[in-house]
Amino acid sequence: MKLERKLMCLALGLGLGLAAPASQAETVLTVVSGGSQNMVDYITDYLGPMFEKLNPGVKVKALGVGPDDAGSQKIVEKLQAQKSAGVKEWDVDVVVPNQQKTGEMVKAGLLQKYRDSISTGKFAVSQSAQHALGVNVGGYVMPMFESQTALAYNPALVSNPPSSYDELRQWVAKNPKAFGYNGLKNGMSGVAFVVGWMYAYGGNPAVIQQGPYDKKNEVSWDKALAELKAFNQQVTFTPGNAGTLDMLNRGEIAMGPVWVDMFYSWKADGRLPPNLKLKLIAPGMPGQPYYYAIPAQARNAALARKFIELATSPQVQANGIVKRFNWYPGIDPNAVKSQLSAKDWSELFTDVTPADLAANAKPFPLAPYFTDMRERYEARVQN
Amino acid sequence: MWVKCMNQTNVLPRLPALQNGRCSLSRVAPHVPVLLLLVPALLVVFVLFVYPLGYSLVYAFRDEKLGVWGLMNFRQAWLLYAKDIFLTLGVSLASSFLIGFFAVAIAGYLSLGENRRAVAILKWLYRWPLFIPVVVVGQMMRTFLARNGLMNNALMALGVIEPLQAVSFLDWRGMIFTFVWKQLPFATLLIAGAMAALDRSMLEAARNLGAGRLRVLCGIVVPQVLPTVLVSLILSFVSILSVLSVPMMLNAGSPTMITVDMAWRVASYSDYGVANALGLISWAMCAVAACFYLRHGVRERGLQ
Amino acid sequence: MMNACGRWPAIALRSLLLLLFAVVIFGPLLNLLLWTVAEAWYFPAKLPIHWGFSYWGRVFRPEAGAMLALGNSLWIAVLTVLVSTALAIPAGYALSRRSLPWRSVFLLVFLLPQAFPAIAVDLNIARIFYGLGLNGTVTGVVLVHTLQGLVFSVWIASAAFAGVHAEQVEAARNLGASPWRAFFTVSLPQASPGIIASAIFVFLISLDEFSGTFFVGAPDISTLPLQLYTAATEGNYQIASITALLLLLPSILFMLVVERFLRADVLAKIGT
Repeated sequence: MKLERKLMCLALGLGLGLAAPASQAETVLTVVSGGSQNMVDYITDYLGPMFEKLNPGVKVKALGVGPDDAGSQKIVEKLQAQKSAGVKEWDVDVVVPNQQKTGEMVKAGLLQKYRDSISTGKFAVSQSAQHALGVNVGGYVMPMFESQTALAYNPALVSNPPSSYDELRQWVAKNPKAFGYNGLKNGMSGVAFVVGWMYAYGGNPAVIQQGPYDKKNEVSWDKALAELKAFNQQVTFTPGNAGTLDMLNRGEIAMGPVWVDMFYSWKADGRLPPNLKLKLIAPGMPGQPYYYAIPAQARNAALARKFIELATSPQVQANGIVKRFNWYPGIDPNAVKSQLSAKDWSELFTDVTPADLAANAKPFPLAPYFTDMRERYEARVQN
Repeated sequence: MWVKCMNQTNVLPRLPALQNGRCSLSRVAPHVPVLLLLVPALLVVFVLFVYPLGYSLVYAFRDEKLGVWGLMNFRQAWLLYAKDIFLTLGVSLASSFLIGFFAVAIAGYLSLGENRRAVAILKWLYRWPLFIPVVVVGQMMRTFLARNGLMNNALMALGVIEPLQAVSFLDWRGMIFTFVWKQLPFATLLIAGAMAALDRSMLEAARNLGAGRLRVLCGIVVPQVLPTVLVSLILSFVSILSVLSVPMMLNAGSPTMITVDMAWRVASYSDYGVANALGLISWAMCAVAACFYLRHGVRERGLQ
Repeated sequence: MMNACGRWPAIALRSLLLLLFAVVIFGPLLNLLLWTVAEAWYFPAKLPIHWGFSYWGRVFRPEAGAMLALGNSLWIAVLTVLVSTALAIPAGYALSRRSLPWRSVFLLVFLLPQAFPAIAVDLNIARIFYGLGLNGTVTGVVLVHTLQGLVFSVWIASAAFAGVHAEQVEAARNLGASPWRAFFTVSLPQASPGIIASAIFVFLISLDEFSGTFFVGAPDISTLPLQLYTAATEGNYQIASITALLLLLPSILFMLVVERFLRADVLAKIGT
């Protein structure tokens, strides 16, 4: 009986101890990031502390909702719920969503225009800073960084890597199961590989990327998807964006599509053998930026603008995004380049050259094409 | 987990008794104060289970984009996930049968084994997975069953397989292995409990007449504990059908379990229609299993 | 004894089978432990290349959120236990009376949430909770966990109250104790081991719950299972394994104590 009472007391004590509220003295800037762990860590470990130092009394709280559409969808739902409930001050100050969901949020009136009121707004020069999969997002977003997918391979196992989808198909035919990707349901690097395939074999890549939307442009997809289904018989499926990298690390596959930013983060962490390399194959694989945006009724909107201003300043983009993480800058590259030594700048392009990027870095398809493409893949290839 | 299962045997057969008992108002009246004590707990079940359940049944037939009713969600679910539906059924059935087989074997040895030390070791061993949270099991298996995971590495070190033969088990095989690993102890616990309650004298008699232990197990013990075996099979089947974390961690690529597809429809497209249609399909599978059990139960009683 | 030689193959076979079973049970666990102390484990190394505890520091640093998730997990589990016990004591007391009309139906009602795959219910609960502003709140998560744990707490509590000696309650009443007093001085103390056992079960269920928290709690409320899932899908095997170990300890500890509280006679009455 005694032990029971002790347990009860312990449970109660534990409960009460944990219930003690945290001190509310400081302003908390809530940043919700719809990216992989490396993007959350970037804010937690690098940007957040820097901003806190510049703004005493402010605490940056970074919250990761997970990568891809599923993660960014959580952001949409969170904001939509507060909008529908008529809440005046929303509990999120900065969001970092992907392209597809940013477009949806702009259309649904969940974001505010702020770009023209911050000093770094003029550096947002890229095409993707204006359009997100066909939706005009100019004014609503600042790109955090540009990311790109490419094939990662182990040179010890692949001496002569393919440089196009055609060559890849030949290589896979000769080396069954040595190529791996994460399908469609399990991370954007797999989706990107499929999109690249469709650009190569599905026809009309320019219309798919730029519009206008017309279902007629999808007639040649079935053949391309049938070929992809046959191709899939000879590949290994990996569990996610990170899963592909992990299987490369563990030698379970020799080649696979990965996000360039994650590839470099993992290498820096010692989670990938140092000899792995990247290759951006023709006719192109897609990439996308992640955006900084401010919810329409963010509680600390002024502070949020200040935060984004810092995050998109040439210094931070140079030292944080490029030098520290080896990610492609989100803002005007010329502004960033001048902040860095030639050596640091050129390291960004060791495996994938600027010429490769110019020729083979593509955007994702227009939102409606993109949705169709994924559903068609689920129906024709997966099922 | 296991407590509830021990008793399903008791609850379900009691149901027909209800139809005999007439509850007239005068009989209920003195119980009203006591019945009121049940209200808060029942309210929780109704608000948090019955209402969402009804919601899901209704919305499985609703296309919210077009605002119309019909079977389109089921058509879409079939078009996109037919393979996953069959895989789910196959994996759940195969796992349940393997669980039943191994549980009977282990429980049989526990009750008929003659070497006391071996019985004690087995008794200590088999319970472990019971204590391990499902998510943790997912993580363990993900690294254990990978192509260059510990299992294959150990087999290679022992010379059982060549490095080139190593394959990843992170597909349906891995899921079956994981489910059997996790669910086996609780089925065993149930079946061993039922076996322990059997009349020992008959078993002794059979042994004395020279019947082998295997014969005693198959010919005498198993037929008597068959209802418990069935219950444990059905409960394993239902719990396997509803696990989300294990297939998500082991094998979210294609083909996979429909729980993953449901989460995917909701998380990526906020498409509740197709997700609810898939939910209804998984409930239909459970319902078939439950009917099977109930019918079996009725037949048993009919014979008596 | 006579055919001892003939029995050797049988003994060898038995030992081999037991060993194989032990490997199957403990292999995955060993693998998990290895990952918690592996700093680098590249192909084609059979065992980790570097060993150490540096990832432990990463898990436990304040920014990482594991401690927050641990706190959340424990706090939610404690609240779930309190709520479900508060619901289960009256309900269990009522159900312990065999004369109660529709008793089997009520018992069955509490079983229902466990008898259907939970996920389709969970995603609809999340949808309903959005409208009520309960998504992403501790209250919402506690409610979902309570639903999952209710069958255990109600059934075990009912069995525990059924085990109370009726004569003693009668005696207390005859001595002039009010029904309340009799309940609190006689019935409740006698039923308390069973109720504590049910609390332990509910605690463990809450600690391990994934899909309800995934739909209702994430991203605002992060619990250890969610952290573990994120770390695993991000390929942070070390972090995932350390988190898994954190989750594993209370389960094993509590399971070792639970047998003390769950007496065989109570066990035999559950659900009857």
